[in-house]
Amino acid sequence: MIRLVASGSAIALSALVAFTAPELTMATLAGLLLAAVAIIARWRWLATAVACTFLVVYTAALLSVRAPLTIVPALGFGLALVVLLEGADLAIRVRAVSVEGGVVRWALARWVGLGAGVFVAAVLAVALAGSLAPTLPDAASPLLAAAGALVSVLILASLVRRGA
Amino acid sequence: MTARVTPLALSLLGVAAWAVSLGVLSGRPELLATALPILLLLATLARPASRPDYSIAHEISSDRAFEGGAVTVTVTVEARSPLALIELLGPLPPGSAVRLGNHRAVLTLRAGATARWSYDLHFPGRGLHDLGTIAVRVRDRFGLRVWECRHVDPKPVRVYPRIVPLRHVPRPAHVQASVGDYVSPALGEGIEPGDIRQFSPGDRIKQVNWRASLRLGQLYVTQQHRERNADVVLMLDTLAEVGAPADTTLDLGIRAAASLATAYLARKDRVGLITYGGVMSWVRPRSGPAQYERVADALLRADVVFTYVAKDLLRVPPRVLSPQALVIAITPLLDQRFSKAVLDLAARGFDLVVLVVSPVAVTRVALAPSLAGDLAGRLWALERRSELAALRRHGLPVLEWRPPEPLEAALVAARRPRIRLASAG
Repeated sequence: MIRLVASGSAIALSALVAFTAPELTMATLAGLLLAAVAIIARWRWLATAVACTFLVVYTAALLSVRAPLTIVPALGFGLALVVLLEGADLAIRVRAVSVEGGVVRWALARWVGLGAGVFVAAVLAVALAGSLAPTLPDAASPLLAAAGALVSVLILASLVRRGA
Repeated sequence: MTARVTPLALSLLGVAAWAVSLGVLSGRPELLATALPILLLLATLARPASRPDYSIAHEISSDRAFEGGAVTVTVTVEARSPLALIELLGPLPPGSAVRLGNHRAVLTLRAGATARWSYDLHFPGRGLHDLGTIAVRVRDRFGLRVWECRHVDPKPVRVYPRIVPLRHVPRPAHVQASVGDYVSPALGEGIEPGDIRQFSPGDRIKQVNWRASLRLGQLYVTQQHRERNADVVLMLDTLAEVGAPADTTLDLGIRAAASLATAYLARKDRVGLITYGGVMSWVRPRSGPAQYERVADALLRADVVFTYVAKDLLRVPPRVLSPQALVIAITPLLDQRFSKAVLDLAARGFDLVVLVVSPVAVTRVALAPSLAGDLAGRLWALERRSELAALRRHGLPVLEWRPPEPLEAALVAARRPRIRLASAG
């Protein structure tokens, strides 16, 4: 069951990329194939690599079509990445074990909760960005974005390190 | 309890960093939005973690089993705080296999909920195992942090060697003073008629042999043979073994020793055990059901310990290896030191029977059939035949047991005539 969910998320990722840029369908199919291998073989490192590959293909798709900014598909893409990684991880955990039915229900409920949280956070972030955007100079925006990205990743890395 | 971050958190961090980097490099804000769910998930690590509160109890269906038997392990988990995902790794000692269920379980429990999970362990070989350790891993609700600990509650399980019922066992040459099943040459109270003699004051009327009395004109009484027990010492060779695991010559020898011990104890004999190998140990001869436990416990621990030292049987106290005891040496005869020890015992006048567990048959069963293997086996069998003949030339009764033939078939050759009054002198 959990592998079906992970496979579904991989298909959703491929579909999102294919809808964004149909010319990249072959690349998405390659990603889908790798995802299938990762889910069947239960290799966490391959699932991580597949997630990174899908991100690269999605970036290429966004750059190729130069479509206007749409947040909702991007949020869906991010959620699908989380489900893919967690699904692959859970598939490793439940390999050759006695599993109580509640485990899968718990995972599904958590992903639904995460989706709702992400939606609320995205609405707040868009509102905040909308109010901040006029105050920022155009020339400093790329630098500020890079600095913000670096700081956010460093904060998360320190959180992970502290947890370890 | 040890807490750490899961590999999933590291994966998520890597993917989030990759998404943010791609977003900055490509100038597409969608990629930052893509990273948002992962960033939100990882941000939960900032929350102070509360340790999971739960209790684990486990029980086993039996603390004793025979080879080939099974034991059910039941684990009960009671959650006092919500457990998003608890992974349990039940005991699976070396030499055992899961027959029913699984020794790993993954559960999700609400606060106050209790879950029970069980599985069957199959033990193909003898041994002393501990089923007391359960590895526990509890993940937080986001799957990013994990607590690990070991639940230890010693549960020893003794897996005894298989016993085959034996009708014919080597008869001891000497008997002891206690009541048993062997007809003693000595006369006294018993069932079997021995001799007749003239009536003397104190004899009971029921002992009068009326036929002899009428014929001889005087009162004669019938005397009976006493029924006595014997001391039997099983000497097990633990110097070397061959064969596939759970069916090595040592395993077969131990099964033979356990079967012989059971048969002799059922005849009210006193049974002792000497394990002769890298580590020499012994069990003093005693009788009764409790003695079987002592012998079986010693057999469970018997294992091959390599040594260059030849152990001297003079170290064994006389109360263990009494001169009147029947010594049954159980050996594959793979090590010359055991042959020397057996010859030493024979030279000291012990009543001795050598039960040889054929390593040729055991090795043939373990190996894949091949022409070379068959030829080697035949040559080895010829060589061993000459070794056994050499032992027989020393006057030793040598019984060769070629598994999978029944042990009884090998023991039948050791049937000895009962010692009669005339021969007793």
